[in-house]
Amino acid sequence: MNVVFRISRDLFKSVQRDLVRPHHFASERVGFLACRPGALAHGAIVILAQSFHSIADDDYVESDLVGAMMGSAAIRKALQIAYSDRVSMFHVHMHEHFGRPSFSSLDMRESAVFMPDFWHVCASHPHGALVLSKDSATGLCWYPEVRHPLPIGEIVVVGAPMEVISYVSA
Amino acid sequence: MSLHNNRQEFLGLNHEDVLGRYRVAVVGIGGGGTHFSQQLAHIGIGTVCVFDPDHMAENNQNREVGSTENDIADRTLKVDIAERLMKGIRSSTKVVKVPYRWQERAEILRGCHIVFGCLDSFSDRAELEVACRRYMQPLIDIGMDVHSVGDEYVIGGQVILSMPGFLCMRCVGFIRDDVLFKEASRYGAAGPRAQVIWPNGVLASAAVGVFMQLVTPWHKLHISTVCLEYDGNAQTLLPSNRLGALQGRVCLHFSGENHVGDPFWSPENQSHAESVQDDQVQAVQQ
Repeated sequence: MNVVFRISRDLFKSVQRDLVRPHHFASERVGFLACRPGALAHGAIVILAQSFHSIADDDYVESDLVGAMMGSAAIRKALQIAYSDRVSMFHVHMHEHFGRPSFSSLDMRESAVFMPDFWHVCASHPHGALVLSKDSATGLCWYPEVRHPLPIGEIVVVGAPMEVISYVSA
Repeated sequence: MSLHNNRQEFLGLNHEDVLGRYRVAVVGIGGGGTHFSQQLAHIGIGTVCVFDPDHMAENNQNREVGSTENDIADRTLKVDIAERLMKGIRSSTKVVKVPYRWQERAEILRGCHIVFGCLDSFSDRAELEVACRRYMQPLIDIGMDVHSVGDEYVIGGQVILSMPGFLCMRCVGFIRDDVLFKEASRYGAAGPRAQVIWPNGVLASAAVGVFMQLVTPWHKLHISTVCLEYDGNAQTLLPSNRLGALQGRVCLHFSGENHVGDPFWSPENQSHAESVQDDQVQAVQQ
């Protein structure tokens, strides 16, 4: 299944600005994009980013293992948004370099742990994770009833200028 | 095939790759749409999806770029003419022919990055803009008309970029309730609108310029709202005066929560979309 992700330029820039803000103990920041899905031809889906939900400073917990660890309050708030607004939630963090970023094995493991929780509150929707760089992005999508994450084939920043920042040739 | 020294390197060293990734929709393959098809193939756009249910007829001959007299006799589908035109220019162009109204194959339209609208009526335009906003697709609309004023005629037209998150066609005063009402009330009574090739060529070329500025910007002035007004008597194409008055305004017609995506989303709907693979919707790939 092909998955396409679209985000407006203004929202993309505001997410990048938020994620590079320093935190008093976490070495990076994370957040969630609330999104809405739609169907494309040939069984493909499009995920449309609607709003960004930053993690409050107090909702990080200290960790020696990862750059940013969310506390239970952060995850609970994200689950609440998915439940009450019936939206897809995409976890976002940023690697501050140019070029195509990739998920670390730790990113993959952690995402796989908390992603199914979103189906408990919004079972019909795909959810997922994005990692941004300064000029690119990579994403994974957990689709209902598919056990393993699907790579997001294309990430498009919609605006002026328009950019296909991530593209996997079919 | 990579073409070096193709005289458009100013669009970026990798512009051929960038343009090759784009999937563009042309809705309405008439006098405007065939101009688009021709230029998009020359530029090197990877995939062009052409939507039009109509066949070639004698009254299209004055403006249907790429058509022949045989197409009139054969009642050739307009999407077939567009395909022949584009593949003749660049055989690697992937042409997706959709000989239906776009509403009947909306899943295909949603997959495109940018939509060119070349529709006749205001209601069709309004409907297409709603769909494009919902799926975050910039819409570049063109249109022309000829009005009788006293004992002479006035040729007018427009190029509008409707960018999601920015001013829409209602904001700039092009789509209005009174215009839609007037159009609806004379439904069935109005004759065909006058159409000629040269204004369509001017408007389509300007619209392709707007598109290229979006996808391969060659300067740093990024414009999110475009509304150009064509005066075919004075032979001018100028920014609308309305834009000055609208500076700093935000679009209230397409805003708020739940304005994007499928409002009735369910995995079952997605399964339905998967089954929409009509044999007449052909992807022709070299």
